[in-house]
Amino acid sequence: MNYPVWYLPEVGGGFLIALIAVLHVFVSHFAVGGGLYLIYAEKKGLAENSEGILAFTKRHARFFLLLTVVFGSITGVGIWFIIALVNPAATSSLIHIFVFGWAAEWVFFVVEIVAAFVYYYMFGRMDSRTHLQVGWIYFAAAWMSLLLINGIIAFMLTPGAWLQQQGFWRGFFNPSFWPSLFFRTCVAILLAGCYGYLTASFTRDRQVRLAMTRFSGKWALAATVAAIPFAIWYVLALPDQAAALVLGKSPTIAMAVQWGGVALAGLLAITLTAGIVRPGWNLKPVAFAALLLSLAVMGSFEWIREAARRPWVIGGVMYSNMIRASDVPSLNEKGFLQEARWVANRTVTPENQRRAGRELFIHQCYACHTVGGGNNDIVSRTAAQTYSGLTAYIGRMHQVRPFMPPFAGTEAEARALAAYIVGDLHGKEVKEPVAGKGDPGRLVFEQHCASCHQADEIVQAMGGQSPEEIAGTLETLDQISDEMVPFAGSEVEKRQLSGFLHSGGVGEGGTGSATAVSGPEVFAVHCAACHAPEELPEKIAGRDKQELYELLGRLNELNEEMEPFAGTDEERRALAGHLETLAGGAK
Amino acid sequence: MNAALIPRPDTIPVAWGWFQFLLLLTFPLHLLAMNAMVGGLLIGVSQHFQGRPVNLRLAHRLAVLLPLAIAFAVNFGVAPLLFSQVLYGHLFYTSSILMASFWLAVIPILITAYYGAYLYDFRFDDLGVGGRWLGLAVLLMLFVIGYLFSNNMHLMLLTERFAGYFDRMDGSMLASTDPVLLPRYLHMMLGAVAVGGLFVALAGRFWADRDQDMASLAEATGLKTFFWATLANIAIGSWFLVSLPRQTMLLFMGGDIGASVCFVLSLLLTVGMLVTAWKRKFWLTFWHAVATVVLMSFMRAWMRSDYLREVFNLGQLEVVPEYSPMIFFFVVLVAGLVLIGWMLRKTAEAFARS
Repeated sequence: MNYPVWYLPEVGGGFLIALIAVLHVFVSHFAVGGGLYLIYAEKKGLAENSEGILAFTKRHARFFLLLTVVFGSITGVGIWFIIALVNPAATSSLIHIFVFGWAAEWVFFVVEIVAAFVYYYMFGRMDSRTHLQVGWIYFAAAWMSLLLINGIIAFMLTPGAWLQQQGFWRGFFNPSFWPSLFFRTCVAILLAGCYGYLTASFTRDRQVRLAMTRFSGKWALAATVAAIPFAIWYVLALPDQAAALVLGKSPTIAMAVQWGGVALAGLLAITLTAGIVRPGWNLKPVAFAALLLSLAVMGSFEWIREAARRPWVIGGVMYSNMIRASDVPSLNEKGFLQEARWVANRTVTPENQRRAGRELFIHQCYACHTVGGGNNDIVSRTAAQTYSGLTAYIGRMHQVRPFMPPFAGTEAEARALAAYIVGDLHGKEVKEPVAGKGDPGRLVFEQHCASCHQADEIVQAMGGQSPEEIAGTLETLDQISDEMVPFAGSEVEKRQLSGFLHSGGVGEGGTGSATAVSGPEVFAVHCAACHAPEELPEKIAGRDKQELYELLGRLNELNEEMEPFAGTDEERRALAGHLETLAGGAK
Repeated sequence: MNAALIPRPDTIPVAWGWFQFLLLLTFPLHLLAMNAMVGGLLIGVSQHFQGRPVNLRLAHRLAVLLPLAIAFAVNFGVAPLLFSQVLYGHLFYTSSILMASFWLAVIPILITAYYGAYLYDFRFDDLGVGGRWLGLAVLLMLFVIGYLFSNNMHLMLLTERFAGYFDRMDGSMLASTDPVLLPRYLHMMLGAVAVGGLFVALAGRFWADRDQDMASLAEATGLKTFFWATLANIAIGSWFLVSLPRQTMLLFMGGDIGASVCFVLSLLLTVGMLVTAWKRKFWLTFWHAVATVVLMSFMRAWMRSDYLREVFNLGQLEVVPEYSPMIFFFVVLVAGLVLIGWMLRKTAEAFARS
């Protein structure tokens, strides 16, 4: 809202960040571990007085230089560019909070570059002791770069005490700082082993190839084993919600864990068999396969970390759509369009409703959703939604799906957003609900279920169950899947939904939207346990609907055994109307 | 002016003067490395096209230096980009988004140019005639990158154009139609060619004991390039000056004492270095040029402040004081410089022994 949004509807900024970031971290971690690998490879060559191993090390140093100094450095700048283009508010926050951390990282970057050039260009032209010292300087500078960037990335996930009292060091040494640092160090060494394995596969001298393949395999294996306790520590350091997402609550993370696990298993299999036990099997295709598997491991890890942070870009501070948590109450009250800087429509009117809705989509949804693109396509995700259902869902989105940010804005803005998605993107009818029309059960389904489920599939799943059994199932949805929560609507809504599903999803009122609550239903839920309908007329005779409405709010004054009506305002009004009818008033 | 569109800046941990100091300290380093990169490659490619053995030897030596120059141009660009984002991030991010599709293209172009430079270096002999075309292609890519940088740095000042976003949200806006952009870009690039000439002359001095002919050619060509490019840049610089908004132009003509003193000193230095270059006094020319680059950085800062005067000034940045991270940075900087000094000394010793 503070910044314009670079809007490429089919592409999405998230995809661009992921593309650049995964490739960058794959190389930048190698840039750390690879430095250590070069030192020990050179030491091995010196210790064994092997010209072959030293030649291997120099060749590997050249590959290392070309990959890390060119691709690693420039994609690092590329990440800076792309995060500032896609999420300038968060980038600006991180730059301003940690400016001297970034500045110190730049110093280490300069040292790294100088050391990398000296190490490569002076290979064999400098005494070994000094040359190895340069290698150590390189590694120390690279690891310090990792340490500094790790602190800032970990802060985004777990800002910890910074939320209570801000400050550079408090934010930097956050709860996931150490486990993340050690875990990433292990990953860096693992990747160094994989890249070394690749260079070894290109080595013609058989003895050197076998020796360096085994050497690389041991690096990869040792790093993988060492990473396990740090990975566990890392998960334990996560906030409850993020930990729950990582441990299965999120289907996308579950898939990433699955793929990452398969890739890691494949990698271990290769490094063990075609690395340590049978180094002769290290052929170029095998080495490339290992490298691809390590890319998959790295990509999965980064994906999991990013996905677990949702709905935040900076935990507890800023949502992924650049809206600060502290601004939400004000936005709900005054309206997002009023408060945002980069919108053309300041209010919602019947004439501009969909244009305003589009702007709301761009500023609040596009951070994660494309329009007709491959990444989280909003069109396919809302295919089953109606206007009224989506409007209701937008208001409860964060409760139903805690990994999504809450909608920040007024009810009129929520309707505008729904109108844009349902009307413009789906070409469906946008019609405000009319009281008393349509099947309330269908409406409840649209509000609570349709964002994830088609009616047919649920009807089929509930086939053969009575409405009571369906109602029971709705209370224990979390036992069916970790991704679901128990039905959160009122008792009346639950009965209506059960009836709707029991009737085969056909309902009684067609597909129209309607007010959900009927007076008899409310009476059945809230009153029928103690009162028969026929006993009431004499008790409430002569009162009109408004009086009855007010009376419902102070039932305890009539009888101490009674509590004031505890349903929603809508239910209270519906019940008051029904009681008036029972008392012989308005028909 | 679209003041309503200007994003709200974030707070800063120390007074803005520190960041301005660090920006003006590091930006000239970036400029010098960038100049060595662009000017060195232009001269290298032109030598390559001339084709005599001594020209080829010089072109080859310059090709070897090119990846190093790119590495340091990028590296030394990081710090000023960081400090300028601290001061002007809210404007810079906005202009970056307005031209996002072009701005992001800098990355793949730079990676391609960088690998092209390594290919040009490592395969100089094998590439034969094709090598000079490769060198030229890399040079053109660097010119394109320079153009995109000039565009962004200029677009962030043109806040009255920000509302154009609503007509094109796909990041396809540029500042190309602004009359100041072209002279600004040409002034920067021609300056790069000139100062790059000095780096070629400097490199020639290091090669003197191994290849005297090539070293002499490097120094002569470098100084000659510097002289003529600087002379031409006086004209381009004048065009740049008069194309500025009147009030900004007058800033350098008495409107602001500091800006005017800087401008006059730059003119005097320019005349001085033309004379010294003509007389082939290398070191005098070199230090004149370095001082001019530093002064030009100062003038650029004045120009930026003046462009933005109606919508933003640095005094508006709110300070939430926290000085210990800055002390940490300075300690790291000193330690880093010591380490770099040690490595360069060891390298020089190793070269001396060999």
